[in-house]
Amino acid sequence: MRKLSIYVFSILFLSVSLKADSFSFSFFQNMTDNIFQNRYSAQDKLSHLGFYIDKDFSKISVFTEGSYSYLFENPSLAYYLQDVGLDYLHPVSDKAAFYFSLIGQGVFYRSDYEDFNSLSLNFLAAFKTYLSQTSILKSNYSLDYRSFRYSLFDFVSQGLSLSFDKYFQTRTTLKSEINWGLKYFLHPYSSQEVILVEDSGGHHSGRRSYLFVPRTQFEGQSIQVFSFNGLIAQGIGGNVGFNISGMKQWYLSGENPFTSVEEFYMVENPSYDRFAWAGYQLGAQITLLIPWNIELKIGYTMADKEFPGVESMNLEEELLGVTREDRRRTFETRLEKNFPRFSLFLSYAYVDNNSNDPFFDWHGNFFSAGIEWNMFFGEKK
Amino acid sequence: MEYVFWRKEMKKGLSLFIMFCFLGFWSLTFGQEPQKPLHFYNVDTEKKIKGTIQEIIMEPRYKDTSPFLIIRLEEKKTHQKFIVEISPVRFFTHDFHKGEELEVVGSLYSKEGSQNIIARQIRFRGEIIILRDKRGFPAWRGSDMKQKKRRKGKGF
Repeated sequence: MRKLSIYVFSILFLSVSLKADSFSFSFFQNMTDNIFQNRYSAQDKLSHLGFYIDKDFSKISVFTEGSYSYLFENPSLAYYLQDVGLDYLHPVSDKAAFYFSLIGQGVFYRSDYEDFNSLSLNFLAAFKTYLSQTSILKSNYSLDYRSFRYSLFDFVSQGLSLSFDKYFQTRTTLKSEINWGLKYFLHPYSSQEVILVEDSGGHHSGRRSYLFVPRTQFEGQSIQVFSFNGLIAQGIGGNVGFNISGMKQWYLSGENPFTSVEEFYMVENPSYDRFAWAGYQLGAQITLLIPWNIELKIGYTMADKEFPGVESMNLEEELLGVTREDRRRTFETRLEKNFPRFSLFLSYAYVDNNSNDPFFDWHGNFFSAGIEWNMFFGEKK
Repeated sequence: MEYVFWRKEMKKGLSLFIMFCFLGFWSLTFGQEPQKPLHFYNVDTEKKIKGTIQEIIMEPRYKDTSPFLIIRLEEKKTHQKFIVEISPVRFFTHDFHKGEELEVVGSLYSKEGSQNIIARQIRFRGEIIILRDKRGFPAWRGSDMKQKKRRKGKGF
């Protein structure tokens, strides 16, 4: 079956590539000294190989994208991601338009993470209008459905956002945005539901000895959040851009149904998403165009996040009776150089995460280097 | 036993899912006639202009294609006005405003008495945005990291 799949895959791949408008290939090599983002810093290297194909049909664009990520030290966490989708833009005047997209996605992990294999469907409707030549109003609605192999995590979520920006002659842009989101877990939880990690190295190998223990008395099945974002951007000359941004998020109802929330580097974890926390985030970023037209971005972010419903534990995994709270400082820098047919990327980030749960008191270094190569088919219009 | 069965089914499911994606895409692309463009990118008429944005509009430029983002730009030195064709609206993830400065490299052509430019590269807020390659092939016919974000609707 595997050989047949590879065979069919290769043929279809070539067929599609030749008929598509474009084919894009990318390779990224990532390296970190803290893949699981906790106090037991575990090193790993992650290779990411991806392709993308798209084709326009009149006003509709169809695309498919696949990527395989391999972890050298934790190969049982390797995964393949495939999505296929279409989008459409409908202008209502020369100053306003609707945008719609529908995307289906499958994520397939190897043994350690098979419970999180998932299929999902995402719908997005967006509206953008120029209120004047210097101000823009945007509105988005999104609907996500996600089904996991372990159905406990299945959910439907929806979000609404409204943003407004204004440009001033001082070359300053002000932007504000409000967001509302609702995540509804499709299955009620029971106290019997415990997912154990297939232990590959014990408690101190870099992961807790379990991933999630759903709460025993989880009232309701949904989380509702509201957030406010603000941004000030300033242009300085033709080669420098600077911005300061802030975000504050509140829980309107519900709380996390898991007793533990984890984030891994480059590997998605279903316990952590934008619904997992309340708190604030502040950031500053400078963008510079340096010699040889290399784009340099330097940023600093500080975040204070509380995870409602998640209690901190000591290193013996005993509850401490306080809600988990993390304070994170991130410094990141990124270089990008674009050539006519390919682009090169190089980035580095340092993260310092202080938490009242000692297991999540950590810091880490994250390196990434990549190349993206495009092939074009069709016409030069 | 049930787990082993599920694993096999999942692998089969993965293969079928991938095949389905490609077959669906292949069937949609099969038999499509190429459209004849109204004008080409001409590398011999390339020009670099630095100016101020006067107006932003969304306008159809090619038959049966998504509308394009069009900028009316006033050159700083000469005060000459140009109509700059950026890219399909859904591709472009930056927001322009009247009064912002923009440097454009692109192919110049005249139409109905106005100076038009098909942009190949723009410099904007300290960033260089490549819209076409040096031969004029559009960058929106291909993926990059920015486009991936756009698919989730972040950029529109």
